[in-house]
Amino acid sequence: MTYYRMALGAATVLALAIPAKAQDKTLTIAGSGGVVKEITEKVFLPAYEEATGWKTNFVAAESNIMLEVRTMLASGKMLYDAMEVSASNYPIGVKDGLLAKIDYDLLDPNGELPEKAKKEFGVVAAAYSTVLVQRLDKNPEGRKIESWADFWDVETFPGPRSLNRQPQYTLEFALLADGVATDDLYDVLGTEEGLDRAFAKLDEIKDHIPVWWTSGAQSVQLLSDGEVFYSSTYNGRVTKLQESGIPAEIVWNGGALHTSYVGIPKTAPNYEAAHDWIRIRTMRPDLEIEYVKQLPYPNFAPGLFDQMSEDMARNMPTYPENAEVQFVANDEFWAANIDHIRERFDEWLLE
Amino acid sequence: MHIMKPSLLLTGYFWLIVAYMIFPALIVIPVSFSSSEFLRFPPEDFGLRWYGVYFTDPVWIAATVTSFRVAVLSTVIATTVGTMTGLAIIRSPTHAQAPLTYATTIPIVIPHIFIALGVFILALRLDLTDNEVALAFAHAAVAMPFVVLITSAAIRQIDPTIERAARVLGAGPFRAFRVATLPPLLPAMVAAAIFAFFVSFDELIIAQFLMKGSETLPMRIWADLRLDISPVVAAVSGLLIVVTTVALACAEILRRRAISTLAP
Amino acid sequence: MKFRQILWLFLPATLLLVAFIAAPSFDLFRASVFDPDFTTEHFERLINRSVYLDVMWRTIRVSLTVAVLCTLIGYPVAFFINLQPRRRQTLLLFLILIPMWMSILIRTYAWIVILGRDGLVNQMLAMLGLATEPMQMLYTSGAVLAAMVQILLPIQILTCYAAMTEIDFDLIRAARVLGARPRQALARVFLPLSLDGTLTGLVIVFMLSMGFFITPALLGGRQDTMIANLIEFQVQRLNWSFAAALGVVLLVLTVGMIVALRGAGKLLARRVLKGGL
Repeated sequence: MTYYRMALGAATVLALAIPAKAQDKTLTIAGSGGVVKEITEKVFLPAYEEATGWKTNFVAAESNIMLEVRTMLASGKMLYDAMEVSASNYPIGVKDGLLAKIDYDLLDPNGELPEKAKKEFGVVAAAYSTVLVQRLDKNPEGRKIESWADFWDVETFPGPRSLNRQPQYTLEFALLADGVATDDLYDVLGTEEGLDRAFAKLDEIKDHIPVWWTSGAQSVQLLSDGEVFYSSTYNGRVTKLQESGIPAEIVWNGGALHTSYVGIPKTAPNYEAAHDWIRIRTMRPDLEIEYVKQLPYPNFAPGLFDQMSEDMARNMPTYPENAEVQFVANDEFWAANIDHIRERFDEWLLE
Repeated sequence: MHIMKPSLLLTGYFWLIVAYMIFPALIVIPVSFSSSEFLRFPPEDFGLRWYGVYFTDPVWIAATVTSFRVAVLSTVIATTVGTMTGLAIIRSPTHAQAPLTYATTIPIVIPHIFIALGVFILALRLDLTDNEVALAFAHAAVAMPFVVLITSAAIRQIDPTIERAARVLGAGPFRAFRVATLPPLLPAMVAAAIFAFFVSFDELIIAQFLMKGSETLPMRIWADLRLDISPVVAAVSGLLIVVTTVALACAEILRRRAISTLAP
Repeated sequence: MKFRQILWLFLPATLLLVAFIAAPSFDLFRASVFDPDFTTEHFERLINRSVYLDVMWRTIRVSLTVAVLCTLIGYPVAFFINLQPRRRQTLLLFLILIPMWMSILIRTYAWIVILGRDGLVNQMLAMLGLATEPMQMLYTSGAVLAAMVQILLPIQILTCYAAMTEIDFDLIRAARVLGARPRQALARVFLPLSLDGTLTGLVIVFMLSMGFFITPALLGGRQDTMIANLIEFQVQRLNWSFAAALGVVLLVLTVGMIVALRGAGKLLARRVLKGGL
């Protein structure tokens, strides 16, 4: 019976061969994968390394990031120094105490950042919109979708649709379709009757939604495949969709304008160095313009719009004409109400 | 070996089912030669664009290499441990066999996301995150029950009296096992090993929790499908089909050699 | 074999399972009833809302259907391979193995290409003039079943095959010599001998089905949600304790069903051995 000893021996040797982790002077940043990761690695990381002499480790954390941070906090071992915090994750991070406060004296001693970029637990890294996108070639002759009311009008615009599998912003769209004004959205949604009204509106369209998307890429793929004709999606990938020959068009009217952030998880090992990273990521228009060329998700780096052509600016969710017809997604509302609304939404979906 | 000839009906049925299983594999191949930005069928323009992306992107290559390393180590662990366990179960008293099988195969029913969460906490405590060896062991723990099921089913069919006879004739326990039990067991072990490899190579969730800096291939594919859906995924699977076909052919040749040298 | 030797053989598996399965699972079991104090609210929620009971029932139903379909479809395939000369068998096994090696993600995506509104089937139907409007096949239960069976079928075929190769063909020859017809020899000798491995395959497929989430998530509609999808979803929602409770339920249902399946298998085996089918 020597073979089990061999196996155990091999296991021990392998366990001992675990490389020691280099931890000094490396900033670990968690963020999205894919294009975002690519551009970050190309644009921001080298600038940071050059400015500080630190090394960086960019981790693609995907959708489980808040879960990971929570687990790390519980275990007392935080691996991340800084992280991207999406619009929907920010309230969770605040509510559950996963994020550390930003020290603005340290980050921005000269006060260059505009107020709208500054949050208590994060700095705006990108602004983006959840907008209605239509396949022009699937529209009835001479008609075009112009609002969420049209999206709900399955008589005039027949065909499969898709919405985000999240109550956030989806319920707002339902209320807009039901005639609620953008300014009143969250007042209405804050009442039981308003909530009932939103779900009643969603009931109307439930059967016309074969699939609820769970990632931005999925919603765009659905439009590309012709699997759905109309969908909510993030404004960022629509350009690529158009470039690939799909006659898709954004309806800015009734879009939800969001901001996502870069923040610092609680107990991050390099709190101060993380601020250097945030400065590079959010306050450098020369770097940001490179990012925006790839992804139309601008932040509030001072002087960013001065560097854009008119055509390019027009594609930005924060372009005045676009911003005007949208509503600003209310993160605080969702932070306070997410639990019971989401539970109801999830169970409504299963019905 | 011919005890009866398969009827024409059965032959036709066989190829129908093979087509059903393989057709999706074949469909991925033309998609991989598309040069469009989105996964689309039929592809509009053909080209090697996405193969180029795969081979020139160090991220994809690194992910592939990582997955391969983890899967090989995990297969070795799972097959060794699993076969030992299968052997132990069958050589246990009859009334103990069923409970022992349940005890060692229960992990199959635990959702991966659960194991992933638990192992992640454990790895954090022991400072083993982003450690391929830890991932390989976790994968082995998930794959081992399958090895137990496959090998124990095979061992049950093997006559233990031959091994006992070998012992009586003076062979040590290991030698007796090697000469009497191992050869008929080998096909099941190979099947189990292939299965274990497949479990690890295809496993997404545990890897996603455990690996931070480096990515495995499924993590890369998942990230691509979720964030950047591109036909590079199709190119990767096209390559995988070719590589695995070759690798399986090699494995089969080796296995035959092993059997012919072991045979008394 | 001596008792101590058997214990030694069990040791590595015990270590592996305790470290990587039992200890982590225990933590999560605890999470299902401590949030942070002892509570049964999560289980109550599961039992009190019919939507969750529906999901549980559906998970069992779909998994059973997939397991039975894989067995019915796979058994003759394994049998066919077994009838071939040795060299040919290897070649045919290749055909079974190749799709198995493909990522489940990829195989699922392939079904999207096939079943989509602009997909292969709809294009063919339109070309043949059989349909004017594209049919909705994606995001239906049928799509989930077709893909799950396709994904899990190779496992059942391989398990059946492995069991069949162990059968001593002399027994069948003996039966033939003693006057049994081919069909009789099959039903009385071959089938009972291959039953154990076949049932193992059925149970494996069933278990794997119970934990499936990629395929129902990508190919099914909201009416095709299975327990694993709910767990995935709740974990993403950071509802750990509720997810943990769902996991416990999944575990109990799966183990219960396996015990039931095994029991039914034994009964069946006894009947088959006694009097054929």
